[in-house]
Amino acid sequence: MSETILKTEAIHTFIGQHHILQGVSFEARADAVTVLIGRNGAGKSSTLKTVMGLLPASEGKIIFKGKEIQSRKPYDIARLGIGFVPENMGIFADLTVEENMQVAMLREDAATAERLESVLEMFTALRDFWRAKAGILSGGQKQMLAIARAIINDTALLLIDEPTKGLAPIIINALIDAINQIKQHSVVVLVEQNFYMASSVGDYFFILDDGKVVHSGAMAELVQDEEMQSKYLGISKSV
Amino acid sequence: MAEQTPVQIFRRQERQKQYRSGTFFLKLAVLLLFILVPFLFPSFKSLDLALKIMIFAVLVASFDILLGYTGILSFGHVMFFGIGAYSVALLIGKYGNPTYINLVIGFIVALGITSALALIVSFLSLRVKAIFFAMVTLAIAEFAIILATKLSGFTGGEDGIIMSMPGIFKVSFNMGKFLGVEITGRLITYYFILVVCLGLFLLMIRFINSPLGRVMQAIRDNEPRAEAIGYKTFIVKSISICFGCLVSTILGGLYAMWVGYANPESVLGIPIMLDVLLMEIVGGMGTLYGGLAGAAFLEFAHSFLPDLQNFAKSLFPGAHFLHAAMERWLLIFGILFIMVVFFFPKGIIGSVQDFMARRKTAPSI
Repeated sequence: MSETILKTEAIHTFIGQHHILQGVSFEARADAVTVLIGRNGAGKSSTLKTVMGLLPASEGKIIFKGKEIQSRKPYDIARLGIGFVPENMGIFADLTVEENMQVAMLREDAATAERLESVLEMFTALRDFWRAKAGILSGGQKQMLAIARAIINDTALLLIDEPTKGLAPIIINALIDAINQIKQHSVVVLVEQNFYMASSVGDYFFILDDGKVVHSGAMAELVQDEEMQSKYLGISKSV
Repeated sequence: MAEQTPVQIFRRQERQKQYRSGTFFLKLAVLLLFILVPFLFPSFKSLDLALKIMIFAVLVASFDILLGYTGILSFGHVMFFGIGAYSVALLIGKYGNPTYINLVIGFIVALGITSALALIVSFLSLRVKAIFFAMVTLAIAEFAIILATKLSGFTGGEDGIIMSMPGIFKVSFNMGKFLGVEITGRLITYYFILVVCLGLFLLMIRFINSPLGRVMQAIRDNEPRAEAIGYKTFIVKSISICFGCLVSTILGGLYAMWVGYANPESVLGIPIMLDVLLMEIVGGMGTLYGGLAGAAFLEFAHSFLPDLQNFAKSLFPGAHFLHAAMERWLLIFGILFIMVVFFFPKGIIGSVQDFMARRKTAPSI
């Protein structure tokens, strides 16, 4: 079994008065894509934001590469090697694609320049719109930019929040290819409601419901289990 | 030479193109115009107008670093302008003789006070949300005006401080004629201020195009995202505030050198802050050059609109209604302002840049 790079132990998170995460525990293993799935409002995005330090964990532990990070600031967590692609993509609309990439580069060394070239090979549309304002990009291109920014540094762990939201099927296939490439050198934790995407790239899954993990296992098992898909993901059973 | 990547080749081409573009020559023409103003329009009114446009253009650009490039609304920006003006005035007008060394000390003291105050303001206020920051800076600026007015023994109260300049900057200094124009202390002061303003403006361009400048713009667009990328946004915002305020302070000192006095109304007043805001809106936020367009618009309006009544009287002696309408030049200014905002929603420079960007197809690398 491969080593665990990220582990959360019973994390609790509040947003205002609302108790959003009620003891979420999950782990992400090296050389694998871990998918957090569940219905709307189950706490998937809040889990990623809590790991990233954007929402404070009131209880529990978040352990990244053996270090507790639950009380660290987002900039500290990012500099430990965790990249985050938020649900709204979080691109800097008034900056050009080039400037978005430059802002994301925490170092300007040869390794980063090499990664930039390979990222542009992966997402060729970014090359075409290199000097254009990021705000004019299409939804799929913005998503590519958001992912490109997250992997431009030496990222050990990449947290991606619902990358397929509102995208056309053809773009989703391109994203699946991209994530399959990224998983060769980074550990990926993916929040996804699109089961096609989740099952195409995921190795392990954790199902969240009402702020708790209710099931987990290998993705191959979930693909076979129509009962669970129907119960927690709202996917109708095949007739 | 090592083989270059496509990105490096593209950057090299961009650098080469930069000095051949139409906008580069337009900028040179504007600079040339400022240089030639004393020879083309040899009157004090023209010189005074050109200098005020110059100073306010750079002041608005320094305010743009905060508002347009970092997304920080500070109503205290002109307070730092006042600190520069008062520091110079106190050192050479009240507590010292008009010497070069006192002038330099005046600037150094002003920069020291500004650094400390800007740091305190940013540490106190950046912890609160944007609108509260604006309110805190407004309160501090108002407090500075009250201090300058009430501490009359130190600041000269509402009358302020009158001073004369040292050596070659003295109004009475005269070096004779050059191309038919008297080279006086005032003209030398004009060119000195032009050189410093140009230097400050180039410094600001370098600043916003630096990696730090790009992070500032990222913070303006999406602060939590910039933090999640790995930037201590609080530090970057503090640097932006301090940099903008230091530029404002130097400009305040230069302004005092030109007008020869400093009083609360001319260098600290809230109306000046509102003028700066108007110039920023008219010129365009996040453009830096917008300051020049905004300052030119407002200063021209302030200089020429009050004379409209006389102009109307000389052209149409019997049109009393027109004379009465022209007397209310502020109304005309208001209409002009609304028209500019209506036709240039992103400011003059911002709208022109948008138009040019739409025309230009995004190049690929």
